[in-house]
Amino acid sequence: MKLLTHNMLTSKCMKAVTVGYPLGINASDVRVSEVDFNPDFIAKIIPKVDWAVLWNAAESIGQLEGLPKDIVENYENDHDFLKKAHHVLLEVDIINGELICPETGRKFPISNGIPNLLLNEDEV
Amino acid sequence: MDSHKFIKKVTKKLRRLQYILNKETGAVSSSTPTQNLAICNVGQINGLTEATIVEAFKQYGPLERVLLIPGKSCAFLSYKSVVSATRAFEDANGKLNIAQDEKPAYLSYVESLPESKNDKIWDRLPPGLTIIENFVTEAEEAMLLSLCMFEDDVNSMKHRQVKHYGYEFRYDINNVDKDKPLSEKIPQECDVLWRRLNIDFRPDQLTINHYKPGQGIPAHIDTHSAFEDPILSLSLNSAVVMEFKQKETICVLLPQRSLAIISGECRYDWTHAIIPRKYDFYYTSNECNSFKRDTRVSFTFRKILRGECSCNYKLNCDSYAKNLERIDHTLATKLESQHVHEVYEDIAGHFSDTRHKPWPNVLDFLKTFKTGSILVDIGCGNGKYFGYNREIFETIVARINLIFQVGMDRSFKLNELCKGRGFEIFTGNCLNLPLKNNTADGVISIAVIHHLATKERRLKALTEITRILRPGGLALIYVWAKQQMKNQEKSTYIKQDRKNRKSTDEEIRGASTDEIFVVDGISLPVHINRTDFNHSDVLVPWKLKSENLSKAQTFLRFYHVFEEGELDNLCEEIPEIT
Repeated sequence: MKLLTHNMLTSKCMKAVTVGYPLGINASDVRVSEVDFNPDFIAKIIPKVDWAVLWNAAESIGQLEGLPKDIVENYENDHDFLKKAHHVLLEVDIINGELICPETGRKFPISNGIPNLLLNEDEV
Repeated sequence: MDSHKFIKKVTKKLRRLQYILNKETGAVSSSTPTQNLAICNVGQINGLTEATIVEAFKQYGPLERVLLIPGKSCAFLSYKSVVSATRAFEDANGKLNIAQDEKPAYLSYVESLPESKNDKIWDRLPPGLTIIENFVTEAEEAMLLSLCMFEDDVNSMKHRQVKHYGYEFRYDINNVDKDKPLSEKIPQECDVLWRRLNIDFRPDQLTINHYKPGQGIPAHIDTHSAFEDPILSLSLNSAVVMEFKQKETICVLLPQRSLAIISGECRYDWTHAIIPRKYDFYYTSNECNSFKRDTRVSFTFRKILRGECSCNYKLNCDSYAKNLERIDHTLATKLESQHVHEVYEDIAGHFSDTRHKPWPNVLDFLKTFKTGSILVDIGCGNGKYFGYNREIFETIVARINLIFQVGMDRSFKLNELCKGRGFEIFTGNCLNLPLKNNTADGVISIAVIHHLATKERRLKALTEITRILRPGGLALIYVWAKQQMKNQEKSTYIKQDRKNRKSTDEEIRGASTDEIFVVDGISLPVHINRTDFNHSDVLVPWKLKSENLSKAQTFLRFYHVFEEGELDNLCEEIPEIT
């Protein structure tokens, strides 16, 4: 599961939950791989991302690699910044672990890179 | 003009017409008289009817057969004897004004009548139909007619006049209001009719219909849940020809004062109709004849059905159709679990192997998204539409902008296959998307929501998709259609079966199975692959071929196939969708 995906996920679909975002991360296996860098793509994705959540998620699994806590001004042209964002968004993959609902503590397993967000009948 | 000139004129005209006749129908003209005559210059396409032909030609002798050719301006008739045909030829040729604009018809002897498909059947009755002739005497007929003297109403010229006793049949709901009996019951004078029958039948509903010549009733099946079996129809004051249709069309003469007992298959699975016209023609075992209709008064006696219909003719059963609408949340979950989710787990590998060609329309949709778009595939299956499948994408889609695609599917096995190809996916349920509001620039959901068993669930899925879309975002939803024919053309789905490329409409429509599969008290029809859908909620078989198994296993997947406009209507219920 990439951190860009994590940025979109929520447990709000659960019955008892009001916000359900962001989901906490426990990662037991993290894989880092090289992904083609497209600065234009990254520049356009950044405004769609909750930056604070992204930053905290990366930090919680030790994958910040110098990512600034705030989005820099004129980031579209900042090659270095974009590269760091790219790394955190797309090159980090959580293979095994779990996602945690911030309100109920409910754990959603991640195995083989696939988070399982299926709810039980009584959770809906 | 004098006789000689007349004959010359007719002969010349005839030669040309005979040539056309042969070209259009293959009929071979004969210079010597035969029993068979062709009417060369007027036919079905000009509005000529069998009844008109019989009325005009029966005076020359007993007729054996009358034939109209659809779309042609010629027709045929055959007499029992050559003598009759000769009489007709000499008297009518070039003189009988039944052609267009009351021009004369031109006749030719032909060696034989051409072959005709789609002939209506006269020599047998549909299963379950019995006709009892002379069921009432003339005196009884007069008595019954006196019970229902209607005023001649000019306004009713177009439609037949109707009166109900016992219970009212409401044409707006196509059923009876079983809780509101009428104060007027079936007249006691009718009681004499039941004692005459050998069946245990006591009706509590009577409908009297007046059909003036030229009036009729469209093809219909009496609502299953309204009435029991049988239905009795007494024809008074005139005979009429009634058409019964299932896969074939059977024409039945109902003589004046006869009783038709409509039962069993005929009652539940055949439509009946009266064609609006003023003359009827008919065949008996001997010959072909015709008559002019008078006002036919029908007394239709029926017994109200208490409860729902439990017949075996589910195709046209409103009780059966209604049953399916009662699927509740628990049953829907169970139905989907057994007949969607588990099946996809079992067939994942085979399914994925057979799903490799992306549909062009979907690819075109994906191409419209700008670089940096986020696209979610709800029900992504084997990941057919993911952009990283280089072999497919780069050949088909020349330049696809870089978009972030994430997929969700319910099936663990399919997700594993997807992940193995390097796609970003998660497991979830389309009824409760674990995604933030306004996250996606685009959503695709291809062949997914037709697996949801109730309208509420399908609506929920669409609502969820709407929720995760950014304002201005676009979604593409594909579902299976119930109607597999458009503009008389068979769909690709039906054509995939090699047999069906040549088969007729009847063969495809008639191919629905009676096999019913029961899931928790709800019975669902099992669809025959590569044929039309006769019901909206079906189980569609998937044959799993595997070297491990000694014989192929069949899995049944639940589908709700969509009627035209149904998806649009669902979307209209979601205000955020424009």
